[in-house]
Amino acid sequence: MIGGVLTAARAGFICCEACGLLARPAEPGAPGHCPRCGEELVSRRHNAIQRTWALIIAAAICYIPANVFPVMKTTTVTGVDDDTILDGVVLLYTTGSWPLALIVLIASVIIPLAKLLALGFLLVSVQRGSVANTHDRTRLYHLVEFVGRWSMLDVFVDTFTVALIQLQPLMSVAPGPGVLFFAAVVVLTMLAAASFDPRLIWDAGAAPEGSHA
Amino acid sequence: MPENTDFPSVPSATSVPKRRTHPSVVWIIPLVAAAVGVGIAIQRITSEGPTISIVFKSAEGIEAGKTFVKYKDVNIGQVTAVTLSEDFSKVIVTAKIAKHAEALLVEDAKFWVVQPRVTLSGVSGLGTLLAGNYIGFEVGGSTKKRREYVGLEVPPPITVGEPGRQFVLRSKDLGSLGIGSPIYYRRLQVGDVIAYDLSEEGKGIDIKVFVYAPYDRYVTTSTRFWNAGGVDVSFGAQGFEVRTESVISLLAGGIAFDAPPLETAAEPAAANASFTLYDDRVAAMAKPERMVAHYVLHFSESLRGLSAGAPVTFLGLPVGEVTNVSLEMEPQTFAIRGRVEAAFYLERMLAHLQQPAAAVGLADKVNERHALVQRLIDERGLRAQLRSGSLVTGQLYVAIDYFPDAAKASIDWTRDPPEFPVVPSTVADLEARLTAILAKLEKLQVAEIGADVRKSLAELTKTLAAADALVKHLDTEVTPEVRAAIADARRALGPDSALQLDARSALQEVSQAARALRVLADYLERNPSSLLRGKGAPAPSPEEHK
Repeated sequence: MIGGVLTAARAGFICCEACGLLARPAEPGAPGHCPRCGEELVSRRHNAIQRTWALIIAAAICYIPANVFPVMKTTTVTGVDDDTILDGVVLLYTTGSWPLALIVLIASVIIPLAKLLALGFLLVSVQRGSVANTHDRTRLYHLVEFVGRWSMLDVFVDTFTVALIQLQPLMSVAPGPGVLFFAAVVVLTMLAAASFDPRLIWDAGAAPEGSHA
Repeated sequence: MPENTDFPSVPSATSVPKRRTHPSVVWIIPLVAAAVGVGIAIQRITSEGPTISIVFKSAEGIEAGKTFVKYKDVNIGQVTAVTLSEDFSKVIVTAKIAKHAEALLVEDAKFWVVQPRVTLSGVSGLGTLLAGNYIGFEVGGSTKKRREYVGLEVPPPITVGEPGRQFVLRSKDLGSLGIGSPIYYRRLQVGDVIAYDLSEEGKGIDIKVFVYAPYDRYVTTSTRFWNAGGVDVSFGAQGFEVRTESVISLLAGGIAFDAPPLETAAEPAAANASFTLYDDRVAAMAKPERMVAHYVLHFSESLRGLSAGAPVTFLGLPVGEVTNVSLEMEPQTFAIRGRVEAAFYLERMLAHLQQPAAAVGLADKVNERHALVQRLIDERGLRAQLRSGSLVTGQLYVAIDYFPDAAKASIDWTRDPPEFPVVPSTVADLEARLTAILAKLEKLQVAEIGADVRKSLAELTKTLAAADALVKHLDTEVTPEVRAAIADARRALGPDSALQLDARSALQEVSQAARALRVLADYLERNPSSLLRGKGAPAPSPEEHK
């Protein structure tokens, strides 16, 4: 669809990622630095795919303890309660507020997982040189990038609760180890989304045109 | 292969020597994440304590994930599941015990459900009202490990680590005691009843008590325990006395102990030593009788009201008790008489000899003792006598007393038990005298006296009848005459009676005469000479002078 469009890469130029200046690479193998802002010029981000993969895998590893370990440790006079994210969802659901349960479930469980899967899918498709649905995949990428920051909501809630509910000796709330892993998952997926170069999605479609020329 | 389109205005980039690429630095991140994750997982797994199961009859107040297992009020575990046993008759509680408490899970460790308990002697487990029930834990002494336990239904009363000693009290019955009943020493609570059970033959109760350190050293071999429940009310010369250990023991029962007052130092009793539980302080403090002399007393009077256990008193103080009351036939005379066996606690009579050692010595030397008793009987007239303890109930007791006038008696010491000389009771005496008086009364000629009296009465009746007739005569014959006389008198004196008229005219005559006399007297006063000359010419009257 956009195969015929002239891109900087096809024209042999490089667009500076920092200031947007279109520059001619110094040498084909070593593009050099932006003449305006001095930023290193890269046609495509360095090791984008490899780096994204690494971050996704790290996030996936953290995803397991984030859901297994408790995120909140509530100490009341009646005892100590360790709650994982899913415990919270179940608690909200059993106490009747299923919309809230749904929100927590989506924001804290499904979205991080979906992000991991989405990025994984993008990487795989790029690596296989898929040319299908480039448009949709771009939209998917933007969605992943946009939604990333909202996943921190859970961490914020946890932090506030811990800071505010310190009614010793009646009740106190302490963070569990799960919340650290959960924050790591969110941060790592955001980094992964940032390190992914969406231009790779179209390169596959553009490459055959270029080879024809 | 860029297109060779020439854009001369596009500036050319500056050339810098190519740096070495670091392709795999970013892979450190997942490696670190994996390392941390695995590390935590390993730590979790290794810090995981054992999982145990406890069988309870019911799971009252036990909730998975909420109920803790506590030892000395420290959490050592948490209940993870509550399930029914396969035959649905019991509850299996699964609990995860902390790793650090793993060593406590030995074979004889105990588990029980702690819930608020309100008894008369105290309130326990109040914390569970807020925090819910928990599973109490008590470590055992074994070293063998175990993972499956049967929970206790009742908490063990004393923790194993508590310093102190356990003793066994033997009692006839449990009374009002229960687990947790207090043990008092000088009204200070120093222990608890921790268990009780029927003794092996089922003829009594073995009560296990625990006396806390450091009070346990006051439990010596000579210590007496008694039931301190209820109130001890006594009337004495000082008045009305009420003794009780404490209000709690009044309601919930309790046990007190003390050493007998004159007891010399005794070594502390060994743990699990057994003692007798007496009914009250007096019974507990009574000296054990070391010198018991048995005698037989023959009474030929009624033994009604005398029973085994009746006291034998000497000068009013108890020195023994009647052990048996029966009848006996004397072989020679075939006379049937009462046979009373009595135990004399001679020590009581001798307790205050100058040297107690001498008294103790007497206990051993039977002959000296016999000689002493014989001397008292011979010289002082020591005798036994039946006396009435209460005129209302007719209870009898045996009194030993001095009867200097009593007939001579001796004891045949070769018989066992020897016969103690008796004198007839004062009751019997009194009875005899009363009988004599009655007999005399019977002999009086009551009938004759009665006849005389009756005769006199008849005479009297006659006299009275005569008097009556006389009075009647007076009434019928004299009274009308009197009445007529009075009427005549009244008529004679009436205002229109002749007597009165005559009297009045006579009085008029008299008054006229008096007036004439006065005239004469006046005339004579003025004319005294007329007395001599007589009445001449009429002298000019005073009217004429005027």
